[in-house]
Order: sequence, then C-alpha cells, then structure tokens
Amino acid sequence: MSDVTVILDAISRGESQASDKLLPLVYDELRKMAAARMLHESAGHTLQPTALVHEAWLRLSGGKSQSWQNRAHFFGAAAEAMRRILVDHARRKARLKYGGGQQRVNIEDLEVAEAGPDEKVLLVDEALEELERTNPERARVIVLKFFGGLTSREIAEMMGIGKRSVDRHWECAKAWLFQKIQPGA
Amino acid sequence: MFESQMNPAPTEKVEEIFFSALEINSPAERNDFLERECREDAGLRSQVEKLLAAQANATRFFEDDGVTRLPMDELARSLNETPGLVESLSAMGSQDEMVGKLVGPYKLMQRIGEGGCGVVYVAEQEKPVRRGVAFKIIKLGMDTKSVIARFEAERQALALMDHPNIARVLDAGATETGRPYFVMELVRGVKITEYCDQNELDTTQRLRLFIQVCHAIQHAHQKGVIHRDVKPSNILVTIIDGAPVPKVIDFGIAKAIEGRLTDNTIYTAYEHFIGTPAYMSPEQAVLSGVDVDTRSDIYSLGVLLYELLTGRTPFETKELLEHGIEGLRRTLQEREPQRPSVLVTTMQGSALTQVAHSRHVEPLKLASILRGDLDWIVIRALEKDRARRYQTANGLAMDVQRYLDNEPIAARPPSRLYRLQKLVRRNKATFAFGIIVALVLFSWVGTSTWLLQKEREARKRAVAAEQQQSHLRQEAEDRERIAMAAVALGQGKIEEADGFINKVSVVTPSLEAESVLRALGQWHVLKGQWAQAAARFKLLLEADQLDNSLEITTDLLIAGPILIERGDQQGYERFRRAAIARFSSTTDPIDAERTVKICLLLPADQATIRSLKPLAQVAEATFEKDPKLAGVNSIMAGWRCISLGLMAYREGQAPAAKEWARRCLTYGSGVLPRAATAHIIRALACHQQGVLDESRSELEQGSRLIEAEFSKGLREGSGATGYWFDWLFARVLLREAEALIEPASPAVK
Repeated sequence: MSDVTVILDAISRGESQASDKLLPLVYDELRKMAAARMLHESAGHTLQPTALVHEAWLRLSGGKSQSWQNRAHFFGAAAEAMRRILVDHARRKARLKYGGGQQRVNIEDLEVAEAGPDEKVLLVDEALEELERTNPERARVIVLKFFGGLTSREIAEMMGIGKRSVDRHWECAKAWLFQKIQPGA
Repeated sequence: MFESQMNPAPTEKVEEIFFSALEINSPAERNDFLERECREDAGLRSQVEKLLAAQANATRFFEDDGVTRLPMDELARSLNETPGLVESLSAMGSQDEMVGKLVGPYKLMQRIGEGGCGVVYVAEQEKPVRRGVAFKIIKLGMDTKSVIARFEAERQALALMDHPNIARVLDAGATETGRPYFVMELVRGVKITEYCDQNELDTTQRLRLFIQVCHAIQHAHQKGVIHRDVKPSNILVTIIDGAPVPKVIDFGIAKAIEGRLTDNTIYTAYEHFIGTPAYMSPEQAVLSGVDVDTRSDIYSLGVLLYELLTGRTPFETKELLEHGIEGLRRTLQEREPQRPSVLVTTMQGSALTQVAHSRHVEPLKLASILRGDLDWIVIRALEKDRARRYQTANGLAMDVQRYLDNEPIAARPPSRLYRLQKLVRRNKATFAFGIIVALVLFSWVGTSTWLLQKEREARKRAVAAEQQQSHLRQEAEDRERIAMAAVALGQGKIEEADGFINKVSVVTPSLEAESVLRALGQWHVLKGQWAQAAARFKLLLEADQLDNSLEITTDLLIAGPILIERGDQQGYERFRRAAIARFSSTTDPIDAERTVKICLLLPADQATIRSLKPLAQVAEATFEKDPKLAGVNSIMAGWRCISLGLMAYREGQAPAAKEWARRCLTYGSGVLPRAATAHIIRALACHQQGVLDESRSELEQGSRLIEAEFSKGLREGSGATGYWFDWLFARVLLREAEALIEPASPAVK
C-alpha cells in the first residue's frame, strides 16, 4: 500500500521513470478490490467502476493528504487501469459469446442498438484509440471522465486547463465518438 | 464559400458553435443562434447539426447507468480467472472487530491477509521486547486444545531452526473466544510467484530464488521439522540490502492443525483442501494416516518449481476438485503431469505470451529452455512414488545448481549427445563448431571413452549427493550400464551392449534406456531368443513411463505377445491389469484401440471385458465422427476394426465381430498380419455361431498367411506391411482358433 505513496512521492520529485511503476500497482489493486467485492456481495449486484477508482485512491493514499499533483497522477493511472480491466473483461466475454478461439472481437459485428455494457466498453475503447492519435488531450479527458469517474472541475485542475474547455472536450468527444461508433446515426 | 470553411480551422469552429448551441435550451433560440453563427455557410451548419443530433444519443450512450455499471459477479468472476487472485485477497476494508484488541502480550494493529486456514494480522508485542510480529488466528472449527498440544510437541524442534530463509514461529496460544493463534516473525513481502512475475525475473533468477527455498526446507528437515504446506503463499520474498530473499513462513502450523486431515467427515477434509490441493503430495491426499515424511515437502517444492517455470501448477486446483475427494486422490496418485516444456507448447497464444513476458523471454523460446534438464528435474521431484523422488531438498537444489552451471544433472541418465551438449555449453569459447563436428565424426570411440569417464564422475557425484543410499547406488550403476550399452550400440557392438543390459535390474525412466531396450529386445526376438527378449521388454515398460502415451501403447503391443509366446501366462495377466489401470480412462482413440486389442489377445473374464468396453467405445466413436477415416489413415482404421472385432467376439457378439473383420479386409490387404488376424477373428466368430464350413475356410486363409511369414523367418517389418509383433499377435490368435476348430474330416470334405 505504501508502495503507491512512495512512487507518487518519487513522481512529484520529478523521477519520471517512477510513473511507469504506478499503473501495474494500481491495476492490481483495482482487480483485487473488484474481486473482493464479489466475496461480500450477492450475485446480481452491479459495480460502478468509477466508484472503485475513488475507493482505491482512499485506500492507497493511506489517508494522508496528498498533493494535487499526486492525485492527478494517481487518477490518470487508475482511469487507464480501469479502462484495461473493463476492456479485457468485455473482450473475454465477447469471445465466449461469439465463440471460437478468435483473439479479438470484430467490432463490426456488434450492434450499437443492442449493445450491452460490455459491447459499449469495446466500442468506446476502439474509437478512443483513434481519438488518441488525432487529439490526445481530448482522449485523456474522456478516459478520466468515462473510466476514472472524475468531475470536470477535477479534470480541469489536473490538466491545467479551464473547466469550460473540459466540458467542451467532453461534449464534442461524446458526439464525435458516437458518430464514429454508429455512422448511421 | 470554401474559403470561409477553411479559415478558421473548420472543426474548431464547428465545435465552438456546437458547444455554445448546447447551452441554449429553447429550440427557437437555438435556431436563431445557428442562423446567426453560420450565416450562409450551409456546410458548417449541417456539420453542427449532425453533432447536435448525435449528442442526444451520445449522452444516453455514455452516461446512462448501463455503461458504467457492470454486473458485479460477472466482472469479478472474470477477474478471478487469474490464478491465485482470490487466494491472495486480503479481506478488504477495516471493519474487523479484532483490530485494536489485546491478545496476551500482543496488540493487533492491522489485518494483512487471509489464507486457507486463518486470518493474519500485524501485531505489536509489548513484552518482553517491543516488536512487530505476524499474528495468525486459525479459523473456527478446530479443536483448540489439541492444536496447541500438537504445537507444543513440536515447539522444541521449531526453536532449533535458525535460518535466514525461515520465518521463525515464536508462540502459540488461544484467544478469549477459544480460537488457536500462532505468532511468527513478521515478514513483509509478496508471494514468491507474484514477486517473480511482477519483476519479470527470467528463468535463471527464478531458479536462484528456488535454490534458497530448498536450502530453507533442507535446514528444517535436518532439525526434524516437516513443513507439510509448502506453497507460494507460504514463501514470501522480501528485499534485504537490495537483494530478494525468500522467507518460508508457517512452519509447524500445518502439523499442529493437521487433525482435520484425519477427521472422518469428508466435509472437513474437503474444506482443508481448498486453497492448496495443487501443492499437496500424493501421499498427503490419502486420507488414512499414511505417514508423511520429508519427501512430501520435496513434492511440493516440485510443484513450486513447476509453477515458477510455467506459471501453472501440474494440476489446476479447479480440475482437482472437480470430481470430489476421490477424483483428487486419483489424479494425484495416478495421473502423470505434463512436462513443463510440453505444457507451455499447449498454452494458448495470449496465455503463453503473458507467461513468457513475465519471464523475460520470447514465447517460442520458453519451451526450448524448459525442454530437457528442467523437465527432468521437475518430473523427478514430482514422482508419485516418493522413493523415486529426490530424497532431500538439498539433492533437488544441487541438481538445479548443476543445471545453472551447465553440468550434467542427476535426474536424468545422460546420453552421449546430452553430455556433449553440456560440454560444449560449458566451454563455448574453446569449442568452435568445426571442432565439434570433427569430434563427432572422427572420434566416436575416443569421445565415448572420454564421455564414459565423465559419466563415471557424474555417477560418483550423484551417489555422494544422494546420501549413498544403496538403492540409489544401484540406480546410478544401472544408469551407467545403460549409458555404456548405448555407446556400444552406437558402435554397432550389439552383443556387448546386450551384455551390459543383462546386468541391469532397475531402470529409471529415460528416453535413452527406452531406445536401448527396444533395440536389444527386438534383436533377441529376431534371433528367436524369447526369454531374453521378454526380459528386455519388461524393463522397457519401466523405462518408457515418462514418454508420451503412444510410445507406451506401442511397447504394450510388443510386450504382450512376447509374454504369451514365452508361456508366461501370469506375467501376461499382470501386464494386462497394469495396461488397463493405466489407460482405462484414455480418450485417445489410438491408445484406446491398442489397449483393447492387446488386453483381449487371450480370452478374458467378464470384468476385464467390461473395463475395456469404454475404450472400445472411444475407438468406435471415431468412425461415427469421421466416416472417411479410411481415407485419412487406412492402416489405423483397419487396426481399429481388428480391436472392435476382437471385442465383439470376446463379448459373444459373433455377427458384429464378423462384420468388423470384414470391414477390416476392405481397407486393403497390404498389411498382411492384419488381414490374417481378420480372417482368424471371422473364423472364431463363425465357430461361435456354429457355421463350421465358413469357420474352417477363414481359418485356412489366416493360417496360410501366418505360416508363410514364419517359414521365412521373422523380419522387422514396417507400418505399411505390419511389424514382427503384429505377426506374433496373429499367431497367438491362430493357436486359439486351431484349438477350437476341428479340421473337417475327410468324409465331409
């Protein structure tokens, strides 16, 4: 647990290589937390991944007050980690559903109209990959908000841009991604 | 118009207008706004409107609960497919009523983990010294008094242990509510398997850690303490002075709580298994109190090594528990684990990539690293029969060390090629490729002699290392004889080779022993020396134990008729029982067909026939699944008909037997011994039906083929024409038919 704090401190001291170590730790923690939930809750419960990210922060920051910068780093990593967890999960499920030893699900086969949560995750992830190439800042906003569950104000503070810019990124990206996902719409 | 679109950047402008429009709720006002902003630019307006149209749906898509809420149990289940995750789960959250309590001199500070049998806390000891300790409370359902009594009995031995890789057990007692607890040296670390994966340790680094674990276990064994629960979660890696140090925890605890194992109820025993059956030795799986000795820990070390190398355990926990307690015992006691190198080649792409990645190696290379020495070391440690395992943890550690030093290992009787490979790897600088080729081509004799010298040294080391026990010495000597026989065979000196083998009494499974014994056995057969041949083939059946099943069933086909040929009826019965025991649950059609055939060569009792029935069904199913089997491999299909025909005859189903034999003959008559066998099966079946004329004519046809072959003298043969042992098979059946079917009297003729 204290590992995360140590790494966060290293990052804030400017040791850039430390941030590489953050993602796997956070990833692992989130997986464990999600799995632990299962043990305590009955079947049929739903999980809000973004709530999990916040809980992870409370656990991993050790209750000590942390700098904004640390918080930003953590949520950046956590949102990305949550994205991976959800995408991996959705892929595995889609594989089972569509059968075969196919490594990657063909996104074309998914119907948006009937898309369940898992399919949606896959569709968003795929479209996001393209956005990451063309407009990385906007993609980051989406990741932080969609997978990390942060508010616009938090994201603005974190990224050092205005709240209005965050909202604009969010609204435009949503519309853009949706068009991307469902060209007919 | 185009210019107005190009300047300023269109997307930016589109988005600015779009975003501003979103803030206007009234449709009329929004329309006015758009009118104003886009003026005559229809292209701009339509782009903005497209975005606005998408926006409503997009918001529903992104922000309704469906996206960000997933069925929890389902996500958790898929997360749990990651092995070891649940086990490593500490109960999250701090709502634990024990935290903050004082138990004896220990104050519980924080819950740090939960294992199969208890919950672990960090505790602070106040007296006599102030220090942090690990505090483990055993779950409910134990008889506290006897747990503590057993612990007290071993306390003295535990106190004697003093090793840098062992976490000391300091104390035991009972809580207010009567639950037993143990106090241990506090180790802050992660499971060894997790540590290795997280840090992407390569195979060599993993082996070095493993050797340290072996040394810890060896130390305990020397003090008379058996761990009984060696598994990754009991081996934590901490960093001391920058170097990883594995620490074995929980010594003495499994012993203290073992009372559960001898409990009569399956339920409690079952519960005990959960968490670690994958690491349990075959003798531990036997519920009736078989004495468990230090070699049980050796087995668990073997499982650990297996997991460190491949990321998997030899048998997965899930699959072990699938068929209940009985299934677990049967698997652990009977099923041979896959060799690590074979396992990784069967892994699926993504799994393999992951395993290879965390070992810092190319996926394709992993199997080749494991193949050979590491396979043999692991298999040796995992022997079902503890007498065949490494006898000490030290012996296991030494063999791993030998592998790391590129020296010959003891787990495997060295072949010439193997020793040469080692030599070259040890002396890469001095051995230019050309020299090796020259060495191989021109000085076989010199090399062999020199290698024999090395083999003797290796033998001496092996003997010294493994405590000079007499059966081990015998084994080492026999391995040397086999090595010498292999050398002699390579030089074409068959009789000399056979001389060495003549003195061999114990064979450790190895490919080299297999090939020597097969060659010599066949040599005796072709010379008509049945007794010697039978002796060689008996050893062969011991030597091929680790080989793949198809090799083994081929050897069964060879050994069966030889035993009968020698008149060794009892030997054949034993052989038949062993073959059924080993293969009765195979799902491989070739193994199934061969087992049926060889086990029904002599008449069998009803029980035997019944136990072979499922195998016949496996073989028969292939015809249903693939009617064109003939086209694919008519040789195999033909033999399968023989098996099924023989089965039908032994069951008393004469029409079916005749039909299978007829079908066999349609697969071509190139395989003469098979055709002969088919005729004889038809003869026997006709006799069963009382159709004597037909019976005699079939017998005549079969007998003519067989006599012709044996009058020429047996030859080695091939798959396409049939092997010598196929002819022996046919002749055994011919004798049975001749004894039953009387020749037609001249009058009838």
